[in-house]
Amino acid sequence: MLLSLAFRNLWRNRRRTLLTLSAMVVSAALLILALGVFSGMFKDMLASATEQYYGHLVLAKPEYHLRRDLFANLSVDITNHPALMNEPEILARSPRLRSFGLLSKQLSSQPVELLGIIPELEQQVTSLQNKITAGDYPKLEDRNGAMIGQGLAKKMKLKLGDELVFVTQAADGSIGNDLLIVRGVFATGDSRNDNNLVLVPLPWLQEVVVLPGRIHEVAMTLANPMLAAEVADRLTPHLPENTEVLGWGDLLPEMREVIAAYGVSRMIIVTILYLATGLGILNTFFMSVMERTREFGILMAQGMRPMAIRALVLLETLFLGGIALAIGLFCGALMTLYMQQIGIDLTSYITPITYAGGTILPRLHAVFEVANFLVPAGMLLLVSLVAGFLPANRAARLNPVVAVRED
Amino acid sequence: MSLIELKNVSKIYRLGNQEIPALTNVSLTFDEGEFAVLAGPSGSGKTTALNLIGCLDRPTSGEVIVSNLTLGTASSKQLADFRLHHIGFIFQSYNLIPVLTAAENAEFTLMLQKVPKLKRRKIVCQLFADLGIDGLEDRRPADLSGGQQQRVAIARAMAANPHVILADEPTANLDSHTAEELLALMRQLNQEKGTTFIFSSHDDRVISQAQRVIRLEDGRLADDSKESQ
Amino acid sequence: MSIYNTPLIRKLLPLLILLSILSTTALALDIQSVIREVEQQYMGTSSRARTTMQVKTSHWERTLEMEAWSLERDYFMVRILEPAKERGVATLKRNREVWNYLPKVDRIIKVPPSMMGGSWMGSHITNDDLVKANHIDEDFQLRLLEETETNYVIECLPKEDAAVVWGKIVYRVRKTPQVPEQIDYFDEEMVRVREIHFDDIQQIGERIVPLRLTVLPLEKPDEMTVLHYRELVYDLDLDESYFSLRNLESR
Ligand SMILES: Nc1ncnc2c1ncn2[C@@H]1O[C@H](COP(=O)(O)OP(=O)(O)OP(=O)(O)O)[C@@H](O)[C@H]1O
Ligand SMILES: [Mg+2]
Repeated sequence: MLLSLAFRNLWRNRRRTLLTLSAMVVSAALLILALGVFSGMFKDMLASATEQYYGHLVLAKPEYHLRRDLFANLSVDITNHPALMNEPEILARSPRLRSFGLLSKQLSSQPVELLGIIPELEQQVTSLQNKITAGDYPKLEDRNGAMIGQGLAKKMKLKLGDELVFVTQAADGSIGNDLLIVRGVFATGDSRNDNNLVLVPLPWLQEVVVLPGRIHEVAMTLANPMLAAEVADRLTPHLPENTEVLGWGDLLPEMREVIAAYGVSRMIIVTILYLATGLGILNTFFMSVMERTREFGILMAQGMRPMAIRALVLLETLFLGGIALAIGLFCGALMTLYMQQIGIDLTSYITPITYAGGTILPRLHAVFEVANFLVPAGMLLLVSLVAGFLPANRAARLNPVVAVRED
Repeated sequence: MSLIELKNVSKIYRLGNQEIPALTNVSLTFDEGEFAVLAGPSGSGKTTALNLIGCLDRPTSGEVIVSNLTLGTASSKQLADFRLHHIGFIFQSYNLIPVLTAAENAEFTLMLQKVPKLKRRKIVCQLFADLGIDGLEDRRPADLSGGQQQRVAIARAMAANPHVILADEPTANLDSHTAEELLALMRQLNQEKGTTFIFSSHDDRVISQAQRVIRLEDGRLADDSKESQ
Repeated sequence: MSIYNTPLIRKLLPLLILLSILSTTALALDIQSVIREVEQQYMGTSSRARTTMQVKTSHWERTLEMEAWSLERDYFMVRILEPAKERGVATLKRNREVWNYLPKVDRIIKVPPSMMGGSWMGSHITNDDLVKANHIDEDFQLRLLEETETNYVIECLPKEDAAVVWGKIVYRVRKTPQVPEQIDYFDEEMVRVREIHFDDIQQIGERIVPLRLTVLPLEKPDEMTVLHYRELVYDLDLDESYFSLRNLESR
């Protein structure tokens, strides 16, 4: 009966309750949408760093990721190490050789980073094949066919079919140099990749830098990128000595921090938005309690304990929170779904922003993440309770004699 | 052994730094089964006296003893529990909770006493029949007349079977005919079930129906028909 | 009141300053010619040389056979003769620019400013060394640090507006014959990072030069580059047109 009493009390002043309710629904729904979009942004960022360059997990010699030492190389056979093959989280493995050198065409020269890859495998780890603006992805059969970033193409005024000279210091001390032919151009929005990165077939690069059968790293894709650190720890004891397997969090510590900070910023956003909502709830229930002073007096005269009165008011706010939550979650999910499926393209208004090693794409696009629903939901109930507590306390502390005298 | 005893009770209200003596040195006893009225002009302290008897308020000085219990230092929670089990309250008007039906209002004290639902319904149905308001169980207070509302209030006060029912000017908002009917009903319940009734009034016709008349003037006991017998 | 306000001192002050400048310049001129001679000892007005360059790093060791030409301090060309794999790889320096010719791809590449600090032909000599070494006396402020019976020690500190990579260079030069013994290079934090030692002193025509120089990168104690002049001929009949991009490719 206390429950139905609370529920019915809620609808006494229908308009006021509905107003408060709609404020709560709107704030919850918008919050869920906004968090979904933020998550989408972070996912884009992480994806741009991992799926355009690093991969989720990288096996290399210790400190290779810091020094990029030409001589810190491994046998290509490590790509098929049983520990990597037997790890169910790993979906794909791509062996890579990296060389820094000078790329030139006639009088213009640019320092570049060459990534020697096996195209078929690399495409399972990074997704540059989806970012091609002209031409094609490198092919193993096309010995010296390269795919270059758009920024580089622009700077050196390159077009498909152009011949380039790559010069670097080979591993035997000789001057490694050979011709490359531009077969494809990609654009990721990440200026570092677009201005420096060149993808070439692995065998060609191995020959140029005189490192036959050698690679620098094995980049891998995981089923769940968030498990990178965990998988890395799991693999380490099974891998040969003097190798190191690192998750994206170690390769991109800034990104890891940004993503960790997201948890905090999410709480801050939720708190700020709900502060206003909480004040609305507080006001509604204060008014409601004041209006019902005499009623509370009568209930007390009948022998209702102050605690029960408090519980009654809190129950009312919880009900309101619960209803707002149900509708808010539904609307929020619906809007998130829309943003996930369709989204908003901002390409014509802003350019991509590179931040913490990742790129924020110029689009509003949401992803579903459980925490984006749980946090606003839990917080809404909490806010309802906190906002209900003051009026509830006020009702419980009424002096029945005074309350009953009120008309 | 009396049911209720007021020993030299005084109640002083404070309004800012002003002291308002609502009751001064009142001593009274009530026995079980009494049908007593507190009479007196407006402001004479009737409501104050009923609140003290009903343990809704504490006296400034003196003692209130109900069913052999002195509640001078009890907490508000203990007072609430005491009221729940021993006292029934009926006020002048707007006694009922507007969002609950007549039956739910009447069941309220039983609900607080955690009486099972079916048993509650049975008791309330019986009371509604006794009070002549059967068939109105599912109406909201707003859809009831003043007399019907007061009967529901009586049903609620009676439901938990308290030792004493306190009614503060229960007929003040009713026309004289309805007032007389209600009073007769209360008197009937008092005689049939032996429930003690103490009510206040300044209506002479109502006062004349009482078995015992206690007159208050300016917070002092002016006359008690029981004493003067 | 300061003494500078007295009329006599006021009149004398410019004169004093002028005198002190003249005296230091006179001394500096002497050092400058010493440094310039050291830096151009293998060049003269023009020269041709055949050299062996031995480069040893922690990962590999190799020997290059090279032929080099120079004119004044501004023109310089070198071509690899051996090993066969790199035969024909050539470098041309014109004033402050450096080009490389790669016979394998038959292309000339200009070394961009960002790569000037990079290694030249895999050795411990940088492209910058080729360009800037000959301008030490222009880019640096020279000072005689020490003079013994047999040696000068000359300290070179970069001039304020000079675009140089070194924080300090110290030359140790023997008086007679006037040949360098050692050059120490310091980085911007004044940490000694490289040494060049000179030996195998020979008479070539009228000049006396040390024919072997050893470059020691101090951060990598197990690495070094040894450049040995096998043949050295001065004062050839060469002019600027010889140091052309077309000639870089030829042969
Ligand atoms: N909560 C209070 N604060 C201050 N004064 C009060 C309070 N309650 C009652 N009084 C004063 O105490 C005196 C007695 O009041 P009480 O309500 O008991 O009179 P009453 O006999 O019930 O009058 P009425 O017939 O108008 O209901 C009055 O002067 C009243 O103003
Ligand atoms: Mg009164």
